[in-house]
Amino acid sequence: MTHDPAMAEALRQALLRANPDLSRFDPLPRIISHDDFSRGHCGWSQLVGNYEDDLDAMLAGYAQHTSAMLSTLAHWEAGSHGGMDSSYALKLATRPRAGAQNVTIKRHTFRKRGPIRFEAYVTFKPEANELRLSETDVRAVGFAFDLQGGDRDGANDRVMPHLKFLNAKDGEHVQKWQFKTKTTPFTTFGSAKTVSHYHLSPEGWVDLADGGQRLCYNEIPTKVNWTYICFDFDLETMQATGFRCNDRVFDVSGFDSIRIPGMKNLWCMLNFLFFVETDVDKRAFLYIDSVCISGDF
Amino acid sequence: MLPENITSIVARNERWTGEAASEPHEAGWAHEAVIFVRSLKDPKGPQPQVRAEISPDGMRWVPEGTAVAMPTARDGIAVLRIRHFGNWLRVAASFPEGSENTVLVTMHLKA
Repeated sequence: MTHDPAMAEALRQALLRANPDLSRFDPLPRIISHDDFSRGHCGWSQLVGNYEDDLDAMLAGYAQHTSAMLSTLAHWEAGSHGGMDSSYALKLATRPRAGAQNVTIKRHTFRKRGPIRFEAYVTFKPEANELRLSETDVRAVGFAFDLQGGDRDGANDRVMPHLKFLNAKDGEHVQKWQFKTKTTPFTTFGSAKTVSHYHLSPEGWVDLADGGQRLCYNEIPTKVNWTYICFDFDLETMQATGFRCNDRVFDVSGFDSIRIPGMKNLWCMLNFLFFVETDVDKRAFLYIDSVCISGDF
Repeated sequence: MLPENITSIVARNERWTGEAASEPHEAGWAHEAVIFVRSLKDPKGPQPQVRAEISPDGMRWVPEGTAVAMPTARDGIAVLRIRHFGNWLRVAASFPEGSENTVLVTMHLKA
């Protein structure tokens, strides 16, 4: 029997489209993980900062992080909103302090340096503790990867692509996508084997070309609508190859990542992060209905 | 399928004084919660009770009824065992003037 690549791809597409769990995604040939949070946290854990000897050594950016939680998006006047096809979504909450952030991370390694695709359905809202629109209370939501090549790959940077939807800044409803190429200087702890940097610091964000986008923000803080994001990245070239959000396809030719010298213990690292930041002294919530991470390998 | 079981750190190295509480945590999927409150440093001053609190909305809190003494020494651990908490859960304590405790709060949640 001869192998017919076109037929194989048509069959793969047909199987994906007939599967209600996967039909809303466009995964590359191999699905690395598919998380809908009706089966637990699916490996999305708290991002704890590095330290030695004492937790006091942890950078303040990381010290504020708490664990994500399984949520039914329960609201005080409308009850549980629920996810797209189960009761549950993963919820990431900041503390109630302007500028507070929280991060959840999933840690893998890769088998092959090639294309990967990161798809998710997400939404964000502030805590509903005021009876008003509150559309500028969430400062930002976004995602990032933390990557490094294999131990035999020669010249090897640690590469951290970041994409952030800057929703509001100091009360202004900004609504645009940004990327980041700079992190903070490294802090060294105790033995000097452990270092830390805070890559989500407010400095150094750059506007994505034509990156303005008005997302669906339903009229009060307790109504949500799910938004689709899809980010393509090539682990071989360590370059972004595509980004779309709902009906918009963005030009990523000007996109770049944080690039720092490779570290001696992070070979083949393939980490994925979501983050959220509040613009006011009120908790901001990022809800993740589902995530599909796939690759061509 | 094995029942869900999650360990969540809801406060880490937080210096509690005055009216202190962990951040709101949704755990409606869980049938039981065991919450550990560990002192990471030597507490200062008289130590209050730490109480479990539940909420209809994650914003308004009421005591669940379970309360135990805060740890009185570094690495001391207080334990609260809770069932029937609905969705929202946190722990809180009211410290007298001049008292403090730096805590690590761990929630073990089980379906």
